[in-house]
Amino acid sequence: MTSKEIEDRLVQGIASITSRDKSSIAVDMPFHKLGIDSLGFVEALVFIEKAFKLQLIETDLTKKDFETIHSLAAFISKRL
Amino acid sequence: MRFVSSLSKNKYYLSGSDWVISALDYMMKKATCSGNMSQVVFILGFAADHQLIEDSLRRFAKELPVLCGNIARAYNLAPYWRIPQNTKEDLDIKVSHVENPSGIRLLLEKSANRPFKNENEHISFNLIIAGKQAFLAMAFDHRLLDARGAEAFLNLFQQYLTESNAPHVLQDIRLSSPSGLSEWMKKFYAGRNVNRKFIALSGITPDSLPIPIGKNRGFGFKIITFDLKETELIYDNACREAGYLMEMPYLLANVIQAVSGLFKKRGLSVSSFLIPVSVDMRAGKDIKQELFFNHVSYLFFQISSGNMDNLKGLINSIKQQMYEQVKSGFPKDLAEASFLTRIAPRPVLGRLLRLPFKGKTASFIFSHLGKSSYLSSEFIGEKVENIFHMPRVPVPPGLGFFFNYFNGQLNLVISYLEELIQDDEVAMLETDIKKRLAQVKHNE
Repeated sequence: MTSKEIEDRLVQGIASITSRDKSSIAVDMPFHKLGIDSLGFVEALVFIEKAFKLQLIETDLTKKDFETIHSLAAFISKRL
Repeated sequence: MRFVSSLSKNKYYLSGSDWVISALDYMMKKATCSGNMSQVVFILGFAADHQLIEDSLRRFAKELPVLCGNIARAYNLAPYWRIPQNTKEDLDIKVSHVENPSGIRLLLEKSANRPFKNENEHISFNLIIAGKQAFLAMAFDHRLLDARGAEAFLNLFQQYLTESNAPHVLQDIRLSSPSGLSEWMKKFYAGRNVNRKFIALSGITPDSLPIPIGKNRGFGFKIITFDLKETELIYDNACREAGYLMEMPYLLANVIQAVSGLFKKRGLSVSSFLIPVSVDMRAGKDIKQELFFNHVSYLFFQISSGNMDNLKGLINSIKQQMYEQVKSGFPKDLAEASFLTRIAPRPVLGRLLRLPFKGKTASFIFSHLGKSSYLSSEFIGEKVENIFHMPRVPVPPGLGFFFNYFNGQLNLVISYLEELIQDDEVAMLETDIKKRLAQVKHNE
């Protein structure tokens, strides 16, 4: 799976979690500006586990890894 | 056989969550001086024109007869909110002038504890004018509004005043709902999952503070405001200790440690805490569609004493439990399964709610509202300096910690049944929580 494909899947998931239109989600927008809080963050991690078979809750995700959809896609891409 | 009811203009069918909130209201009226209510407070940076505020609020309330509704049961036995054709009650607005700032807290406590006049009154206002500041407190019945809904209600009021086409602002409010008497298998499966979770949680009876004897007690409140610099530091600490966007587990972990300290000071042994945390279940971006009634569910955190001294371990335990509950769909199942409780009369449901944990229900209640749903920085043209909430907590446990965020500032309100904790213990909790949250921490 390419980084671009991962980004697209993540946009889909985040759109569903935040009840936003996909077109309103920019891949370089920080998650907190997308209206994601602690619960939304955990929902995103559950989505990642289901979509990419990756459990990230116990990993030491830094703010840099998870700041935007773009950086998260790069992080996931390295782990796949 | 399926019962299908048509939507009615003057009937809002209550959800299972609404019915549980209503049962808690019944229990609180029996156990304390008032029902299941809360109060949202706006600090306004001006000497308010009280006549303008009063007139505007009364005009706005007249547009919304739902504010004067009451609970009834339909022919199909589903409970609903009966919405009158017109607004019958006059809005209760009290105006007070205070010279001494210490009088503000007492007036706020008084208005948060004052029972509504009758079963048709669900909001009331108290405007406190103190020099160049004003405090607008809206007490609200939790059967009609949840915390986010209350902020959104005042946001709508602000829009109503500022938009040229005022009635248009009220158009999208949803004031009807389906009866919820279908998809029974879905509700039963959700009920089975919830039942399993509660059986697992009820293996250990949660520790809680002993409820003082005697009825008709009010609630005390400690309002703690963190300034911009402290708030920034707390969010940095949360990011460092718990991870990006993990403020809720960080705040909860620190509160657990502070409460554990209080138990130790009293010489009470702690084996386990059980903490329900409310979560907002609104699906849509537009809160106006789901402004009235309750749109919350709960996550339950069980913390054993072995985990309480180690902050990192505590945070990880909270994160792991949160992850497992979200993954299993527990908050959605709880909301779905609670539809099954609507058949029980409120006194019966009140007793049922106490069964799983031998009458204790929880150690304390926690919530972090996060970003406010009051979106304007002004109220009637003047600056809103801060917003916080003063909820009365169901008894038991009679103790709650409520965080919210507005205008770059974090607030914490400790709400407690009078004499459940003493003044020096409240001061100890305040000092301890402040010290834990807002101290400069360095990377290890």
